[in-house]
Amino acid sequence: MAFFRSLQDSAFTEWFLGSASIWTYPTVLTLHTVGMAILVGASFVIHLRVLQVARDVPLRRLLPLYRFIWIGFAINLLSGLILFVTEAADRIADPVFYVKMASIAAALWLGVIVKRRTIDRPGAPDVTTGLSRSMAAASLALWTIAIVAGRLMAYLKSAA
Amino acid sequence: MLEFAAWVESTQISKTLFGMSWLWPACESLHFIGLCMLIGGAGLLDLRLMGMFRGVPIRHVKAMMPWAIGGFLINAGTGALFLTMQPHLYLSSAVWWSKVAFIVVAAANALFFETRLAPSALSMGDNADTPRVMKVVGACSLISWFAVLYCGRMLPYLGTGN
Repeated sequence: MAFFRSLQDSAFTEWFLGSASIWTYPTVLTLHTVGMAILVGASFVIHLRVLQVARDVPLRRLLPLYRFIWIGFAINLLSGLILFVTEAADRIADPVFYVKMASIAAALWLGVIVKRRTIDRPGAPDVTTGLSRSMAAASLALWTIAIVAGRLMAYLKSAA
Repeated sequence: MLEFAAWVESTQISKTLFGMSWLWPACESLHFIGLCMLIGGAGLLDLRLMGMFRGVPIRHVKAMMPWAIGGFLINAGTGALFLTMQPHLYLSSAVWWSKVAFIVVAAANALFFETRLAPSALSMGDNADTPRVMKVVGACSLISWFAVLYCGRMLPYLGTGN
């Protein structure tokens, strides 16, 4: 706990949040939103297709979307890490933060399983199974929870 | 414009909505979900128009568009609520007007695609490369939507005199 407190009270945090420049907090926050748009946007498209929307699109051809998923994830892991450092002590004690992290981990894991079941398997049929569809729907629901939790954290912060 | 903002703020509906403390964060969450739907759905078509995702027939990608449009409508609706609750914040902000301008560019670009390019785009072969005009339209759409996102997210920070 003392470690997270020292991060939150560090000179870095003071500079990062206190700076009048738009290139510190505002830009990292915006990058976190850009990464979300890429990561969740690409996941949304793949999972809609698995749920049989635009069913004439060959699933295998959507494979490059996973590259966008990992690019978006990398942007958000990095920007998220910076944002976490600046409020480490608050977040480590915040249950909503754990809800967000768990939702993201589960949503990504389901996304990888769906990829293995519907895209990677050679000759996988373009009509997905009920189980794959359920996993796609669950992943979309988890992304929704992650987004709502992320938004709520901003309000819990100002209350703290 | 600021008189208009003052009038909106004086209405009962503005006061009532702003008085519901849960409404603002709820609309923000919906606004984020809508933006993922819009950028995800429209982004795939844009990238295909730019020449990526060969093998994905353009006429089939279009079946995703109702979801992208749904995302846009969610954001237009929640955006209208933000505007009703805090008219001064937006109407007096050059960044917000830039956001509106980028939405107009994206909409005009989509209209141009629908009216001029869609017929030939929809009949293109599955693996066909796209002509330059479609690549430009795809890139224009993608850039405009990310510019809309940028203006929206940076609105509280840009143009504040820093």
